Amino acid sequence: MFRKFAVIISLVLAAAMLASCAQPTVPTAAPPVSAPAAVELPEKLSQAGKIVVGTSADYPPFEFLDAQGNKTGFDIELMTKLAERMGLKLEWADMPFDSLVAAVQQGKLDASISAFNYSEERDEQVDFSVPYYSSTDAFVVGKGFSGAITKPEDAAHYKIGVQSGTVQDGWLTSNLVETGLLPAENLSRYERAEQAFMDLATGRIVVVMADEVAVKAFMEQNPDLQIVFSAELSTGPMAIVVPEGDTVLKTAFDTLIKQLQSEGFVDELAEKYFK
Amino acid sequence: MDEAILKIRQLRKHYGENLIFHDIDLDVAEGETIVIIGPSGTGKSTLLRCINLLTHADGGEIWLDGQRINAPGVDEDLVRQQIGMVFQNFLLFNHLTALENVKLGLTKVKKMKDAQATQKALSELQRVGLADRAHHYPGQLSGGQQQRVGIARALAMDPRIMLFDEPTSALDPELIGEVLGVMRQLAEEGMTMLCVTHEMGFAREVADKIVFMEKGSIVEQGSPEDLMYRPEHPRTREFLWKITELYGQQQEGAPADGFEAEPAWKPNEDEV
Amino acid sequence: MNAANFLQYIASGTAYTLGVTLIALPLGLLIGLVLALVYVYGGKAGSRSMQAYSIVLRGIPPIVLLFILYFVVSGAINLSPFTAGALALGIVSSAYQMEIIRGAILSVDAGQMMAARAVGLSRLEAIRSVVLPQAFRHAIAPWSNEVAIVIKDSSLVYALGVPEVLRRAQLIGASNQNYLLAYGAAATIYFILVWLANKSLVGLEKRLAIPGSH
Repeated sequence: MFRKFAVIISLVLAAAMLASCAQPTVPTAAPPVSAPAAVELPEKLSQAGKIVVGTSADYPPFEFLDAQGNKTGFDIELMTKLAERMGLKLEWADMPFDSLVAAVQQGKLDASISAFNYSEERDEQVDFSVPYYSSTDAFVVGKGFSGAITKPEDAAHYKIGVQSGTVQDGWLTSNLVETGLLPAENLSRYERAEQAFMDLATGRIVVVMADEVAVKAFMEQNPDLQIVFSAELSTGPMAIVVPEGDTVLKTAFDTLIKQLQSEGFVDELAEKYFK
Repeated sequence: MDEAILKIRQLRKHYGENLIFHDIDLDVAEGETIVIIGPSGTGKSTLLRCINLLTHADGGEIWLDGQRINAPGVDEDLVRQQIGMVFQNFLLFNHLTALENVKLGLTKVKKMKDAQATQKALSELQRVGLADRAHHYPGQLSGGQQQRVGIARALAMDPRIMLFDEPTSALDPELIGEVLGVMRQLAEEGMTMLCVTHEMGFAREVADKIVFMEKGSIVEQGSPEDLMYRPEHPRTREFLWKITELYGQQQEGAPADGFEAEPAWKPNEDEV
Repeated sequence: MNAANFLQYIASGTAYTLGVTLIALPLGLLIGLVLALVYVYGGKAGSRSMQAYSIVLRGIPPIVLLFILYFVVSGAINLSPFTAGALALGIVSSAYQMEIIRGAILSVDAGQMMAARAVGLSRLEAIRSVVLPQAFRHAIAPWSNEVAIVIKDSSLVYALGVPEVLRRAQLIGASNQNYLLAYGAAATIYFILVWLANKSLVGLEKRLAIPGSH
């Protein structure tokens, strides 16, 4: 009897050991980089030759799985580029969003990128890089609009159009539709932003919500349009989380982020994922 | 009389305020069968448990084969191997067959090889007439059969002395005979035995000495003849009269030639 | 991602779910067994301290212990999320398994121990050869509950990023917005695992049943 149990237990332990051989983190190797690091790196990272970055890959379009089950998204591509510039191999660790800050704080991760907005509470536990992306959302109306939108919720009084699957779509859905402020049939989703502005012109919808940069580009051709309200709603300024007091790594990220912004790389990514 | 195998001097036991027994002096010589009788709650079972150290006496001495066994530093497991114990409720190991019950002490305590232990266990089962039940589990045996396995289990350790704690009290009347039969056979083979029982027929026929205990002390002891027919102490007389009244006819003066004539009776509650 | 890939991706998390379970359960059994013996046979000090162990561990949500082990303790010893998760669940389970085994030991008639000692077995040998084999049989039924709980609790390691069934369902659900299918698949996998475990334990209980006993 006792021996039988012992046999069962040892079999089970053996099976468990096999299972534990599989790595819980799914490393995504960046292509080898020959360019030397243009920035100073913490010794720990340059010695290891790699950086372990956490993300919660359940937040499209910033980080999510593609059809092959690989991580993709705005943050993923940006970090891949940043690691490349650092001359480090990038190792991803997937973790639920709520665990990421603690994991960075406890040194389980070297950094984390996961559409983090700056907040004071978080800043007490970890440090933030400079923002790598932020966008202002604009509510746009046509000529002859006689109403008023003084706060974002006011938009719920009108028929709204938005480009499908964008962060603005996400914001409207969760803040106006799901809260019951805006009847679902009053939100029209368009495959392309131009289609929304066309319907605005015909009066089929009253308001369009879109990224302010994109709106301004569009307004150059359509002077009848006007922005009645704009604010950082769908995406605040987003930054990379690094361990508290790790100024070397923070500086490295800051330098490289500014570099990529001035090179237009960040805008390219925004175009690819948000527009 | 030879040096006694078991010698008890001034043994005393209490549970808290309760004095269970006191001033017990008892000698058991090699090959002797001694029967202890007495009312319930008198400390007879506790006395047996003190002897094989399942519980510890609070004063006095127990000597086994010239060795003081209730003293600090004694290997109690070694002492218990030399004392066979048969319980009122059989207490067979429920998860083991009759054979495995008898074998367990041989393999685990005496470190016997399996084949050798099996052989020894089978011969002990043979001795109690249960070789054909070797592979039955306790739940598949009658009470009488279980108790005989219990006896075989104790015998297998080749004990110096066997203690029987009301071995037939939990049995249906028709099953008592087979157990008493085995006990009589053991006595005839020269086994040294100390039995607590109310089976007066067995006591009269098999015992070399009967000890009457009451209220935690030995009132009187003597040969079956003397104690049963010429008790000196009035309390002994009263007890004998009572069990005759309660449990049936004691055939006065008739030869106790069989256990079958034993009166049917229900056991009292065991003490402690 | 087509439906087959989708389901396969979630199902491949089963290896982690099973891995965590198959470490946590035997670990909990081993610790639980030792502690149950201390509880039952360790005198007043033993039972007091085990009572405290039981109350404390059963009072802490498993997820909290998991975070403590991964984020606090593993500052000293570097534990992978998988290891930390499996250890934490094993420790939590040990308190429950201790109670199960303790109950099972107490359900074995005290006379069994007495009879074993009377034959000359040491206390430890009597526990090993007589008490535990009977206690384990009594423990199988309540134990199958604990097995189901540990299988389900193994999903908690998702919080540390172990890509087990639940975490994979979350990721897939987010990527194609079909949460119903994703979580449905995860639920089905947990159900099958629990069902299989219970079925095999019922089989074990039958196989180990003592003939002639009720």
